[in-house]
Amino acid sequence: MASCNPLNVLIVEDEVLLAAELGYLIGEVGCVEVGHAMTSQEAVAMARELRPDLALVDVHLSDGPTGIDVARCIAHDCGGVALFMTANVRRLPDDFAGACGVIGKPYSEHGVKMALVYLEVCLKEGRAPGMPPAGLQLAPAWAERWGLCDMPRSA
Amino acid sequence: MQDNISSGRETDLLVNGQGSRAPPTLDLARALEQKLALLHEVDHRVKNNLQLITSLLKLQARRSSDPAVKLALDGAQVRVSAVATVHRRLFRGEEVEQFDVAAFVEDLVDDVIGGSGRRDIQVRMQLEPVDLPAAHAAPLALLISELLVNAVRHAFPDGRPGVLSISVGRQTDGLFVEIADNGVGMGTPAAAPGFGETIVTLLSGQLGAQRETTDAKPGVRTVIRLPVNGRPRVLGDGVL
Repeated sequence: MASCNPLNVLIVEDEVLLAAELGYLIGEVGCVEVGHAMTSQEAVAMARELRPDLALVDVHLSDGPTGIDVARCIAHDCGGVALFMTANVRRLPDDFAGACGVIGKPYSEHGVKMALVYLEVCLKEGRAPGMPPAGLQLAPAWAERWGLCDMPRSA
Repeated sequence: MQDNISSGRETDLLVNGQGSRAPPTLDLARALEQKLALLHEVDHRVKNNLQLITSLLKLQARRSSDPAVKLALDGAQVRVSAVATVHRRLFRGEEVEQFDVAAFVEDLVDDVIGGSGRRDIQVRMQLEPVDLPAAHAAPLALLISELLVNAVRHAFPDGRPGVLSISVGRQTDGLFVEIADNGVGMGTPAAAPGFGETIVTLLSGQLGAQRETTDAKPGVRTVIRLPVNGRPRVLGDGVL
């Protein structure tokens, strides 16, 4: 997927092996990993400095369940969009803390790649190319923003 | 002081007719909440750990230069992912003792076929919701994963395009899973069963399932019939 402006992605995950594998997946769909943070402080600092287009955020980080605050900060202060990647989907706030959605753990490699491809289109064109792929759940606010509510639902 | 003691005894009598002190309802509710929180905590740990294992296998596969080793590790990773698929859905709803087979078959097919990168394989699914006791979910997921991987590898070798049809439904005393392809057909059976075939045989035995493989002319059809002690999927009080 050669792209003039590949999506810059920040990984916010305290498990290094998961982060390493996510890095590969990001590269495989033509996006660029701009950094890896393991605590909320690190994540916020990196997001402010690097201003990634997208941040993959685990809810539970080295310093506790601070991923939600990280997502809020990225949405409000850093001009980016967060995507939660967590085993704890049910504990997310109703407004998703400004994040565009969630991928539940354990995720499949294929699921993550399809989600990245889909979100790249959404972010670049401001409109969803269709229903989200399996494994990706969009936040209601973003689904609406990307025109999903206008789309005819598949049977 | 005397008044407090006497009114205290009155309360005890009200709470438990026998006159002994029963545990206040608030403590019970709190204890239940704590236990539920612990259960959720364990669930998150398991989900995270399965993610860790899958990522580790994938990373190791990437590092190995030997194609045979890569293939073996990828194969192992697909199997772990099948089990992970089951856990992904665990605790998502309120139900943890029964699993909807249709739902996780859909996930499995998406992961195995999607993950294979074979865009030339078209998938058709006809899935009827049917519940299975949770203890059988992981073995069944592994079984179906093997059959799907087999179909991709043997029915459609060398980039031969085709259609894979998957159905799940209820039968009188249980459920059936059918996987049919319009690929190259059965060919000559191998002299000794490979590891995948061994897994399928062992797991079928464990689940008490019957496996029937027939010539679909063209292609192959495999049906797994599973007796299920669980109930058919119900909505509210009615039976679907």
